[in-house]
Amino acid sequence: MARKVGLGQKKELDAQLNLTPFIDLLSTCVCFLLITAVWIEIGSVEIKQSHGTQAAASKKISYDLDVVFRGEKSISLNLKKNGKRLKAINVKGNSFEDVLKQLDTAIVDKILGLKKKTIEIASATITPRSSVNYGQMISAIDVLRKNEIVNIGIISARGR
Amino acid sequence: MRLNHSLVGANAFEKHLINRKRKKAWGKRGVVMALMLTSMVDMFSMLVVFLLQTFSSSPEILVTKGIELPNSLTPAMVKEAPVIALSKDGNLYLDQVLIGSIKKTVNSPSKLMNKLSEIKKSWGKSHPETPFPGQINMQADREVTSTLVSQVMGILTGGQFEAIELAVIGGGR
Repeated sequence: MARKVGLGQKKELDAQLNLTPFIDLLSTCVCFLLITAVWIEIGSVEIKQSHGTQAAASKKISYDLDVVFRGEKSISLNLKKNGKRLKAINVKGNSFEDVLKQLDTAIVDKILGLKKKTIEIASATITPRSSVNYGQMISAIDVLRKNEIVNIGIISARGR
Repeated sequence: MRLNHSLVGANAFEKHLINRKRKKAWGKRGVVMALMLTSMVDMFSMLVVFLLQTFSSSPEILVTKGIELPNSLTPAMVKEAPVIALSKDGNLYLDQVLIGSIKKTVNSPSKLMNKLSEIKKSWGKSHPETPFPGQINMQADREVTSTLVSQVMGILTGGQFEAIELAVIGGGR
């Protein structure tokens, strides 16, 4: 390349990149992140015993939902307004997965879409049963939470 | 930008030396190896990016041994609190310490209640001006009956631990 007049000494265009500290830093980063990595993500589901959270009290018209396990293949839903039962729905299926699907449909179509207008459920209470295990109960709670019913309580029932 | 050839890889002369050595030691494995730094740095960078993405700042909660937590599609972030665990074999643990069998504890909860009141007292000592939040994490095996879980929850509520967080594994089924 021809040297231009008045630009002074020609500068080196190629820069030398020292990889050693770069690799050191990367190795340290990898080690630290591997040690502190959490492989199983644990979450939580908030529950209030027998009643919903305090947020429920502020709503003017409060609808409450009772979810009663009748067995592994049957769930009863009772929609209540100010303590009085408005509607009772029985959800049945061939398997527990089927019951969960039916429960989801029943909540969306018959509970939340009551009288063709969207209602809000202030709190839901779950009545467990000995034939239903904890994992299945969590799956049912999941269905409720998916439909924005978040104030969930569990009745402390004696084994039935 | 040109990388330092001496560091990145072997130059032509070094390659020639390596090949000559390999030819001499016919049947034997070459001792001198050229380290491919470019691919190594690539791999390291990808590892760092992946690990940084999966890095979680949520508090680490130990899962009691032998407990298979249920899966949930709608998990919230876990909070730091005492942990009560209900195992599949019917034992109840509080902060990794065995309290006794679940059924016995449900029938006579005095031991569990004492431990809970100890936790509450120690909270009061360490946080004199903060009201007791009553928070507790519950880890129960997915096979445990729901009635047993609810009965233990009843005991916890009686011991003023009203904000119960059920531990689940996030990410669905």
